[in-house]
Amino acid sequence: MSSNRLPIRGGELLDRSTNLSFTWNGRAYSGHEGDTIASALAAAGVEIFSRGMKYHRRRGILTANHWDPNLSVQVGDEPNVRAGSRRLVDGMQVSAQNVWPSLRWDLGAVNRLVGRYLSAGFYYKTFMRPQFLWHNLYQRVLRKFAPGGRVHWKTGTHGEYDKRYAHPDVLVAGGGPAGMAAALSAAEAGASVMLVEQEPELGGHLRWGGPDDLAVLADLNRAVHSTPGIEVLCDSIVTGRYDHNWVAVVQRNHEIAPERLIKARVGSLIVAPGLVERPYVFAGNDLPGVMLAGAVRRLINLWAVKPGNRAVVLSANSEGDAAVADLESAGVEVVAVLDARAGEDVVGARGRGRVTSVQTGDGRTLKADLLVTATGWTAPTSLLNMAGDRPVYDRIAARYFPQSLPDNVLVTGGIAGDGSTTELTAHGRETGSLAAQRALRLRHDRLTQTPRSATPDSALPAAIADNRIPLRRSPHPECYRSTTHGLVDYSEDVSSKDLIQATGEGFDSIELMKRYTTVTMGPGQGKLETVNAAAVLAEARAVEMADIGTTVWRPPFSPVSLGALAGRIFEPVRRSALQNWHETNGATNLLAGQWVRPDHYGDPMTEASNVRENVGIIDVTPLGKLDLRGPDVANLLDLVYVNRWQKLEVGRVRYGAMVAEDGVVSDDGVTGRLADSHYLMTTTSSGAAAVWEMLEDWLQTYRPDWEVHVTPVTGGLTSINVAGPRSRELLERLVENVDLSAGAFPYFSVRTGTVSGVQDCIIWRIGFTGELSYELHVPSGHALHVWESLLSNGSDLGVAPFGIEAQRILRLEKGHYIVGQDTDGLSKASTAGLGGLVKLDKADTIGLPELRAAFERTDLPVLVGLQPDDPMIVPDEACQIVEAGSNEILGRVTSSRMSPTLGRSVCLAQVDPSLASAGTAVTVQLVDGRRITATVQEHHAHVDPEGARQRV
Amino acid sequence: MSELDFVSPVASGALSASGGGIALEDLSDRSKVLVRAGRSTAAGTHLKVTYGHSRRRRDGTLICGSRPDEWTLIADPGQGAELLASLPDEGFVSVVDITHGRAMFRLSGPDSVDALAKVCNIDLADDMTPDGAVFSASVAKVTCDLVRSDVADRRTYLISCERSFGRFLFAAIADACAEFGIDVPEDISMH
Repeated sequence: MSSNRLPIRGGELLDRSTNLSFTWNGRAYSGHEGDTIASALAAAGVEIFSRGMKYHRRRGILTANHWDPNLSVQVGDEPNVRAGSRRLVDGMQVSAQNVWPSLRWDLGAVNRLVGRYLSAGFYYKTFMRPQFLWHNLYQRVLRKFAPGGRVHWKTGTHGEYDKRYAHPDVLVAGGGPAGMAAALSAAEAGASVMLVEQEPELGGHLRWGGPDDLAVLADLNRAVHSTPGIEVLCDSIVTGRYDHNWVAVVQRNHEIAPERLIKARVGSLIVAPGLVERPYVFAGNDLPGVMLAGAVRRLINLWAVKPGNRAVVLSANSEGDAAVADLESAGVEVVAVLDARAGEDVVGARGRGRVTSVQTGDGRTLKADLLVTATGWTAPTSLLNMAGDRPVYDRIAARYFPQSLPDNVLVTGGIAGDGSTTELTAHGRETGSLAAQRALRLRHDRLTQTPRSATPDSALPAAIADNRIPLRRSPHPECYRSTTHGLVDYSEDVSSKDLIQATGEGFDSIELMKRYTTVTMGPGQGKLETVNAAAVLAEARAVEMADIGTTVWRPPFSPVSLGALAGRIFEPVRRSALQNWHETNGATNLLAGQWVRPDHYGDPMTEASNVRENVGIIDVTPLGKLDLRGPDVANLLDLVYVNRWQKLEVGRVRYGAMVAEDGVVSDDGVTGRLADSHYLMTTTSSGAAAVWEMLEDWLQTYRPDWEVHVTPVTGGLTSINVAGPRSRELLERLVENVDLSAGAFPYFSVRTGTVSGVQDCIIWRIGFTGELSYELHVPSGHALHVWESLLSNGSDLGVAPFGIEAQRILRLEKGHYIVGQDTDGLSKASTAGLGGLVKLDKADTIGLPELRAAFERTDLPVLVGLQPDDPMIVPDEACQIVEAGSNEILGRVTSSRMSPTLGRSVCLAQVDPSLASAGTAVTVQLVDGRRITATVQEHHAHVDPEGARQRV
Repeated sequence: MSELDFVSPVASGALSASGGGIALEDLSDRSKVLVRAGRSTAAGTHLKVTYGHSRRRRDGTLICGSRPDEWTLIADPGQGAELLASLPDEGFVSVVDITHGRAMFRLSGPDSVDALAKVCNIDLADDMTPDGAVFSASVAKVTCDLVRSDVADRRTYLISCERSFGRFLFAAIADACAEFGIDVPEDISMH
């Protein structure tokens, strides 16, 4: 392979003492530390890096930086890597994307034969009809032709992506000379600064400049790295600016993660991205060997790569002139320099696979293998758009400039105007000072307003006016398109001819044309294409550029990997103090909301039967628990529950149901009175947080005069339900100082005592399972001891743990409903079997007017007990109850299980009121389409409807 | 109850980086008492701490102004009863022992601020969150109360959460600390 590597250059980034091996399309290559993938390949003589998206024409280096549309490659299992900026790493496996069977012989190139039919709007025109083929054929075929690399999502070896937060006073987006100077002055003013640069080194265009530029850069680098308060993030990119200066930064190639998303809340944002050199539109402008002036300067000066042997240069500015000097210093023969400022032009580049000749505007044909264009700049105003700005076009300078920005967003550097390095850094310093002053004023405000913060050690910094001397706008010829047609968008293969055609078809607004032709919608997000597209549109409409407007740049500034956006994903899981025990004793877990819980320990039917016959224990810690204290607790309970609470005695427990203001059942549970002004409320497991918030809401807004303190204690009290006919016998062995006899401790009572040596346990006698049962609320740090004591002391009584599934069976046998399962968003208290509980004559209760209205209605669904006539059939929950002779829906099964106690299936169901009478036969449609009959029961309870078993 | 061991929600012992840049310890067994009282009550004036700040009492108890009219007292293990008894109870005052209800960890060392910034979006700069600052925040998506409580100039954060989240939160913070040299035990690794 040939070598284009030049002798050592003054500002090169290479460490020539290193030798990095890598492969390109399976073939071995080598480069040096400091090389990009592209520079190493170019140095080795590689000219073709990719194929165009639509026509699959060969593509070479165009810009030799992050924005190069021709340098997207696959690296290992990572697709769409920017080879123009990604540094070479030893062992890299690099390959071309979207080619088959190879980059050199790509079958997709046959598209060129039908290219005349692939014009603007081709997709919309071609794939509209017949519609049924869209899913069956068109979409699948188009996916095959989609550009980009492959994601090996099953075998990928990427590490996890990362995320962090930051709060710099000043964030500088762009580490060129103006950005560096801004960061320095902001830090010197006392601000904390984050300086973000998308290339691996700071310096911007100084990096490939001459000795004077390199000297300035060295000084700036020394200052930036020695000034306290500046965090430098290279190889990182500011991808978006959102409300209140929330700025997203993606930091690449971090030592612990391939990418890290930094969520920064910024006092002042300084936008200093420099300028993006734009291509020139002419026939053959996508041939390998056509490069921008900046590209050849970077290749020569940063990576010591000779970009060609015989060059033609079209120059409209000083960058082009400098490129001529660089080419000559690299030993490239400069065949001709065409001065666009004097009206000289290029109309075409020709060659097969690479430029071999150049046609000039004056009719000459020049033999050359390199055509360099320097025709102007695009201001990458994306972040300004995101801050609400609509940049305006200046025809004298031939580019867009910011118009109006919020005070917390400032610009400096090339995006703000032109100047020498000295002028740019001076403007940067002034901008940095202004940004720091504004940010520090904001910080001072925050310090005085935030309770936890320190008292500011100085007075509010004085506001200073924006007295910066604006950078000038240097005249530049409007060089966009030659007299021939060429590509405008290299990523999307959109030509100037396509744009003119689209305009002719009526898509003559810049936003419509963008969407119709996909121009500017590729990975570069319009950095190279937007201005040329607007120019072609202006030309087609014969109007001024300023009248065209621009497309609106939205986040992200540059494509972001999904991994970076996801970052570290936290999905909190809650565990009771007994969860380790459950897991080491054979429990099968169930994730219920955030709680991980034991669903069963092997056989839930046996667990349920054991509760009916002996005694079982279950961990019900997720049950919401709220400690209520104060003289007005009873008033609060009266407000939030549908029943009465003023007369609940100390030592007693009462069931209560809550409804929302629309009268719909929202939660339920029992509340016990532990002392005169001290209660413990329980809620459903899933409703604990919402009930707490609701109580606080009512206390803080509606009745701030009430003296009630609400403290959530869900995790602090491990809840253990001891259920079964032998539960009292078991507890009598462990409970001290509490008389558990039926007379002394009746149903719906609460006591506080010592259980197995653990003091301050709350014991209440309730019965969700329908059996004699006690619920223990134990300080969680000692809960394992109590749990194990129950098991060890009750082995002769047949004690065994039971899980959620057994509990569901038992409660269904007993006919206890579950809020949210047996009720829904339309279930009023009156229809959920709570008719007797609701006290409509109370002075006030949340939802009382709606409850009163609901009680007058006779058309609402009713919750009933239901038993299939075939006792062996268990209808799935949510099976519909239908009219026998039609498909009219008359209700649904809300809960269903096989009952081990009855040896038959049992259900709860919501039914039309016409079906709610006991003995009514209903038709249930099963999931498989069969229909069965079932009979409405007199009670919700299928087992012990009188409650004899739990009142012993 | 002192004869019974307190079982923490976190099974792991203290974790620290070899260079001393960061350490993470489980302090869930510390006595914790929640006080809610009007500022005009005897308890409110007795505590002498405003919302957002903390102070350490002579007996070593850390008094934190957790929220308006709400304080959290943190002391050595087994001191819950003494803490409860130490507070005047005139007026409308609630004092709840939350020792068993809150997991608590100590994250310390110069790298602790960077580790915490990976899981918490609060501005942790010295002026915004100085030594003694008390605040609530989401840490790895868990609602937490935090106190900056430096020890001998070593930056230190006390992070507490509802007990049931304790094991998850400890693992999440340990994971954030891995970048700074902590070896995360296999049994709590999130990877």
